[in-house]
Amino acid sequence: MRRSSNTNYLTQIFVIAKNAFREAVRDRILYNLVIFVLLLTGAAIFLGELTAGQEVRTIINLGLNAILLFGAFIAIFVGVGLVSKEIEKRTVYAIFAKPVTRSQFLVGKYLGLSLTLLVNTAVMGIGVTLALLYVGGGDRLASVWVAVFFVFLELCVLTAVAITFSSFSTPALSALFTFFIFVIGHFSSSLREFAAALGSAGAKAVFGTIYYIMPNLSLYGFRTQAAYGLLPDAAAVAAITGYTIVYIAILLSIANFIFSRRNFK
Amino acid sequence: MSKTVQADRSRVRLSGLVLAVALLIGSFAVYFLSNAAGASRTPVPESAIDDDLSLEGKRLKGFVFGAEGLIADVYWMQSLQYLGDKFVNAPPDQVISLDDLRPLNPRLLYPYLDNATDLDPGFMAAYSYGATVLPAIDPATAIKFTEKGIASNPENFRLYQYLGFIYWKLHRYDEAAAAYERGSEQPGAPPFMKAMAAFMASNAGSRETARAMYRQMSDSGDQQTRLNAEYRLNELDAEEQVEAINARLSDYQKKNGSCVRSLKDIVPALGAVKLAGGAQFQQTAAGEIVDPKLAPYVLDSAACSVHSTSFPKTGANK
Repeated sequence: MRRSSNTNYLTQIFVIAKNAFREAVRDRILYNLVIFVLLLTGAAIFLGELTAGQEVRTIINLGLNAILLFGAFIAIFVGVGLVSKEIEKRTVYAIFAKPVTRSQFLVGKYLGLSLTLLVNTAVMGIGVTLALLYVGGGDRLASVWVAVFFVFLELCVLTAVAITFSSFSTPALSALFTFFIFVIGHFSSSLREFAAALGSAGAKAVFGTIYYIMPNLSLYGFRTQAAYGLLPDAAAVAAITGYTIVYIAILLSIANFIFSRRNFK
Repeated sequence: MSKTVQADRSRVRLSGLVLAVALLIGSFAVYFLSNAAGASRTPVPESAIDDDLSLEGKRLKGFVFGAEGLIADVYWMQSLQYLGDKFVNAPPDQVISLDDLRPLNPRLLYPYLDNATDLDPGFMAAYSYGATVLPAIDPATAIKFTEKGIASNPENFRLYQYLGFIYWKLHRYDEAAAAYERGSEQPGAPPFMKAMAAFMASNAGSRETARAMYRQMSDSGDQQTRLNAEYRLNELDAEEQVEAINARLSDYQKKNGSCVRSLKDIVPALGAVKLAGGAQFQQTAAGEIVDPKLAPYVLDSAACSVHSTSFPKTGANK
């Protein structure tokens, strides 16, 4: 009986996620892949001349950073609209008239966008792989795919941040806040160093707290290392993946807490 | 009904045609205006062309969302383009020597490479390029730059090789030997590092040492360094050939009281010359003696000597 209700709960999340993914595809979000493919094709052909034989590392750097940039745009701008669009179009009433809870709705939307980002990131990863094979950089593929995985994890965190903000704020402000978090998240290790360098215990505590509250997005920065064909320890990958899951769970819990108390009237 | 539809259709067709013509005219106008505007732009003063870099790599580090490697690549490409532009835009009558690039005033080359390696301290291609080119601009900077690379990558023997190369170019053979010696102690260092340390102590100024030096540089795997080293190896060959030809010309002049009318006159004598590695002089189908780039040597009958058009500095500097 309980198993059946659990299965039902997950099925509803899955249905919402599938619809969110379909919606993203219908909104032509995956069209960014065309630009990406053109960028990498051009890079693979012309970088040999421009970089004096350093095209492998440049394609890796260019490709991985483009995956992050394109993905961050999608995570922020689509992420903040996931919930608000349903409210604006009043389709949220139709959804909640069915036996769907707000948490299912929120988690389903989140997973739908994460799936979109997964497809987007994976296709871009394949693009980088093909470009690398073309220029003879096949020996660095393992590192590249580790970096692609880290980029995807970072995008998942960013999507969770976007959904959390959009659960209580307007889309424009949510996008702005999420962008700020993206920026601050990349400086979080500098924040810790800053906190350690400060004399006062109070300031140390404040900056130390900010460091732990903000998502530490610098953890996911493996792109430069990938250009050298380096591989992280399995323990490091496990720790970063664990951090991501826990951080996302916390954010979605907060988002759900706010969203479930929100009045749509 | 049908008349109205037909009228509508012909109106749509006409407006489409008008649009196509307007676009065509507009495109031509954009092309010509763009060229005209570009040609009539106020030229930038010479002093402002090399505008100082407004951003330093070490200040950027940590503030580029983890894209340090990509920004380093951009600086790397800029450094290549920068020096390439200097070569391309040099006055046609300016003779450019790879041993002294100061007349080109490439003062931003070091900042570009410094930024690239600040952002990515393991960027070996940048160190390699810097070690090859910077000595011809400012040797002290070249040493500083390579020492910076060693500080960041103390176990990479290549950087000691580059440092040894720079000292050798400066004829500071003791320091070159010390650099090779330090490099030979690094893990994975090949035996030639030890051999080069010994060469520096015994026979540093010889052509054979220069050959060994450039041969190793050409094996370093970096395209720019390899091209440079290959040029230098050819230049050394040309230098040796010019010396041999001039010696035979001198012999001929002493024997006959005048210089040869054509280099073909000394071809039999050149056949007996043993060049490095057992190589022989190359000739075209017409019997002209050519340099390593297959350009015929030019005879100066008044001075009774030859020179190579491919390697203008042949014999003047290594």
